[in-house]
Amino acid sequence: MQKQSKILKLLALGFWLLAFSFSSYGQKDYTLSGTITDKSNGETLFGASIFLQGTTIGVITNEYGFYSLTAPEGSYTLNISYLGFDEISQAITLNQNQKLDFEISEFSTTLEEVVVTAEEPERALLRKPEMSVAKMNIGTVKQMPVVLGEVDILKSLQMLPGVTNNGEGTGGFHVRGGAGDQNLVLLDEAIIYNTSHMFGFFSVFNADAIKDVKLYKGGIPARFGGRVSSVLDVRQKDGNNKRFEATGGIGIISSRLALEGPLFKEKGSFLIAGRRSYADLLLKAAGEDNSVSFYDLNLKTNYNINANNKLYLSGYFGRDAFELGDNFSSSYGNSTGNLRWNHIFNEKLFSNLSAVVSKYDYDLGITAAEFDWISSISNYNLKYDLKYYFSNNFKLDFGASGIYYDFNPGQIIPTSDTSEVNPLLLDSKKAFESGVYVNAEHKLSENLTAQYGLRYSGFSRLGGQAMVDYANDQPVVYNSALGIYERGTAVGETNYEKGDAIKTFGNFEPRVSLAYTLNENSSLKLGFSRAAQYIHLLSNTSSATPLDVWTPSGEYVKPQLSNQYAFGYFRNFKDQVYSMEAEVYYKNTDNRIDYIDGSELIGQNTIETEILNGESRAYGLELLLRKNEGDFTGWIAYTLSKSEQRTPGGNAGGLGINDGAWYNTPYDRTHDISISGAYKLNDKWSFGTNLVFQTGRPVTYPNGQYEYEGLSIASYALRNSDRLPAYHRLDLSVNYKPNRKPEKRFKGEWVLGIYNAYNRKNAASISFGQNIESGANEATRTAIFGIVPSLTYNFKF
Amino acid sequence: MKNYIKLTVLFVVVAFASCSDVIDVPVQTAETRLVIEASLDWEKGTAGNDQTISLRTSTPFFETNTNTAVTGATVTVTNDADNSQFVFVDQNNGDYTTDEFVPVLNQSFTLEVIYNGEAYTATETLNPVPEILNIYQGIEDGFSDEDIELHVVFQDPPEEGNNVFFKFQNQGDLLPTLEIGDDRFVNGNEIDWWIELFDDEETDELESFQPGDIVDVEMSAISTPYKDYLEILIGQIGGSGLFEATPVAVKGNCVNLTNPENYAHGYFRLTEVNKFSYTFE
Repeated sequence: MQKQSKILKLLALGFWLLAFSFSSYGQKDYTLSGTITDKSNGETLFGASIFLQGTTIGVITNEYGFYSLTAPEGSYTLNISYLGFDEISQAITLNQNQKLDFEISEFSTTLEEVVVTAEEPERALLRKPEMSVAKMNIGTVKQMPVVLGEVDILKSLQMLPGVTNNGEGTGGFHVRGGAGDQNLVLLDEAIIYNTSHMFGFFSVFNADAIKDVKLYKGGIPARFGGRVSSVLDVRQKDGNNKRFEATGGIGIISSRLALEGPLFKEKGSFLIAGRRSYADLLLKAAGEDNSVSFYDLNLKTNYNINANNKLYLSGYFGRDAFELGDNFSSSYGNSTGNLRWNHIFNEKLFSNLSAVVSKYDYDLGITAAEFDWISSISNYNLKYDLKYYFSNNFKLDFGASGIYYDFNPGQIIPTSDTSEVNPLLLDSKKAFESGVYVNAEHKLSENLTAQYGLRYSGFSRLGGQAMVDYANDQPVVYNSALGIYERGTAVGETNYEKGDAIKTFGNFEPRVSLAYTLNENSSLKLGFSRAAQYIHLLSNTSSATPLDVWTPSGEYVKPQLSNQYAFGYFRNFKDQVYSMEAEVYYKNTDNRIDYIDGSELIGQNTIETEILNGESRAYGLELLLRKNEGDFTGWIAYTLSKSEQRTPGGNAGGLGINDGAWYNTPYDRTHDISISGAYKLNDKWSFGTNLVFQTGRPVTYPNGQYEYEGLSIASYALRNSDRLPAYHRLDLSVNYKPNRKPEKRFKGEWVLGIYNAYNRKNAASISFGQNIESGANEATRTAIFGIVPSLTYNFKF
Repeated sequence: MKNYIKLTVLFVVVAFASCSDVIDVPVQTAETRLVIEASLDWEKGTAGNDQTISLRTSTPFFETNTNTAVTGATVTVTNDADNSQFVFVDQNNGDYTTDEFVPVLNQSFTLEVIYNGEAYTATETLNPVPEILNIYQGIEDGFSDEDIELHVVFQDPPEEGNNVFFKFQNQGDLLPTLEIGDDRFVNGNEIDWWIELFDDEETDELESFQPGDIVDVEMSAISTPYKDYLEILIGQIGGSGLFEATPVAVKGNCVNLTNPENYAHGYFRLTEVNKFSYTFE
């Protein structure tokens, strides 16, 4: 540890020396800084660009709309541009450090229009070394077909190359062949553990409350850590600080309403947004005993203390509930809260301090057996991030964070005196994860820009509990006579005091990317990133379920470590009307766990007896062709990829799962084609469509049968050696805006969507069993959604 | 109990959105294996001398020819304490029988099968089964408030690690229902086990228990390795759906000494068993 911290200090010093080396040259420089906001509602704009015309000096606003640029003394024309907004040009004389805030307005007077121009970062951004990133402004998302009555951020992301779902009826998403738990999902910096409502029918993100979404598929900046596959950074709107505003939608499945407005004489603002499905009310009214529902609530408020200090408070609360008659009831959801303090030290140094809490819990009541089941994970996170705009050529991000985790893997509470179930409380687990990082964005020459950084992450599994010791230190043992993996023999317990660490880990995570501009319209990019993941979602089902529990790394569950290499070619053509992105990647992850045959994960106190440590690797080619402007916009995305894992017996002995050979992960998709298009006929009518084709998900099918206990028993082939049939579907949407009078404040629109228009019965699963009458074996396909029409009326005033 | 927890999620999806149909799917075909169904069940209150062991072979998954009897094998069971040996006689229909078996509670026995020049062996202990305290029918419990369920009440022994195995055969139904339980969450308690059959709403194929139905019940106490084996086997009967564990190989305790790769399906089990029939009112 001592040594590592020394290395860190040296590295930090190195950065500063490097930084200073750039400040040495000549002429006097001055800095211009400030905030860019939307004139209509005061929302800060993330990703707006500020350029000094005729120079290569420019910068893009950060998450809080802040910018800082430094240039030699002189007179310039300043250009400010942002998606769908009027470009501003302003003459400035730079002869001292100055602060300039800008308000820019959308070029149409209507709000949340179908936006026909992609913003800068959605085109192939040539100079920025950032690669493997999908950024979506809420405007773009809203332009895509609305197919289940509501704009859905996750479904939109799945239309991009390298992002897939795991079939219908399942939540979450998979990035570059990674598992769902390898995605770090942040909503206003708070970790979201379950991204779906109603088993993937809706995402937890209410588009009315969201400002922008950024998905890092690779090249994850050093300020993020804790997951090996991707980061989905979702930010909520701050709320309109100019006037009161209401946005909402009334649909067949759910309805929603968002209210926002100024507070404290425009020094602050608030946003409150809610959604609720009402299928449950209809079902109950129809006399149905079973019901399913969800609701969620987004809250945000901010206060401008002065020009250099701003406070934000945001929260999210979401819940899914279902009932099966009187005998089963269940509910689960995320809740988060975040208090942030933006502080501008000076025109070059921006900082943000965040205190975040986040919780996910799953509650199940089983009246029939008279008990309740509860499991949860919660975390408390404190982080401090700074950005130093050293010079036009050199910017430095640095900061630190600490996360305290509390895992409750499960608890049984008998609900009556007559219950035959004994109370049970699995050991709650505690852990602390820390991270420090520095990251530089460095323009090395006119054509070459680099982003390089280092993160050091630490993790401690904390004591306050007893841990089982195993004979020969083997929690899993290979029984060579029977050819199966069995649970190890407990030989005792080691008790760890509250202050003790059961196990501690530390990892350096270098992140590097380079962008080389070949010419005005094309560039090459190269990236490497290493990431560590210390907490794992336990799931031996073909799809993760809401009741799966998380577990920390420790004595037997090792942290996952991944290395990703990516190379890309980016090109804009036809005056940037079209853009093309091509990337290849290779990713390997150490310590990816898989589960022994017959593993029991629910109500399991000793997870280590159910798992084997292995590794995974994924590689692929991603192509994206976009049309960014005009009445017709859209893209074609194609991914060719492979995702495999290998789980040798290791310490347990034996060859391992599938005899230690490589096998497909459930997230392997050889081909994935997504086509998304939007056509604006006129001011009243617009149309959208999605077409998706994916190779079927790897699954395990039978390879034989035999008779036992009067039943036909299937014997199964090697794990994931078969595939479901290919997945494909077509979605359509029509958008109608009646009586558009620009001067009228109330605006409404009708959205008709058809999900899976040709009613493809995509198999969510295929199960094999005996026909109850004939006794013959048969294969039964379960399809979740056939054709699903939806109609929604959206309004805003 | 965890089965309840898992089941709930499954039911929700099935209940609300899905539709299912039978389709043609190509599957792989594994090599044929020997299947040993050596279930020496000692019914409480009988001598337990008559026992049968069945030998068959596995077939491709969709094969409908069920003539898989294995003849010409040598089958013996040995009492590991006194080395008394019981020879099971080939009936030339896949069954091998004896009327001389002497069951002994808590005693371990070894099975030996010699077939095609390969020797298979397994060892297991004969477990005692708890007394049944009460049998009754009810309607309030179970997954449905409208369907009748059968209750079997027994006392779980005080030490942890006891497992029970139930086989319910509703007369007139083609397929039996198998259930197992361990005492992980209910150790030492009086246990009220219930079983309820479901109406299949889509096909009307399977019906819940109706007044007048007769159900044959076998309840036995089983070893933990056999419970682990059955847990996987039963969990995969009827296939593995969306939220169920990925299906895996089920390996029993019959080891091939000659060629370990060529292991046999099935199991050598010895149990004491409660048998009864119940007529629903």
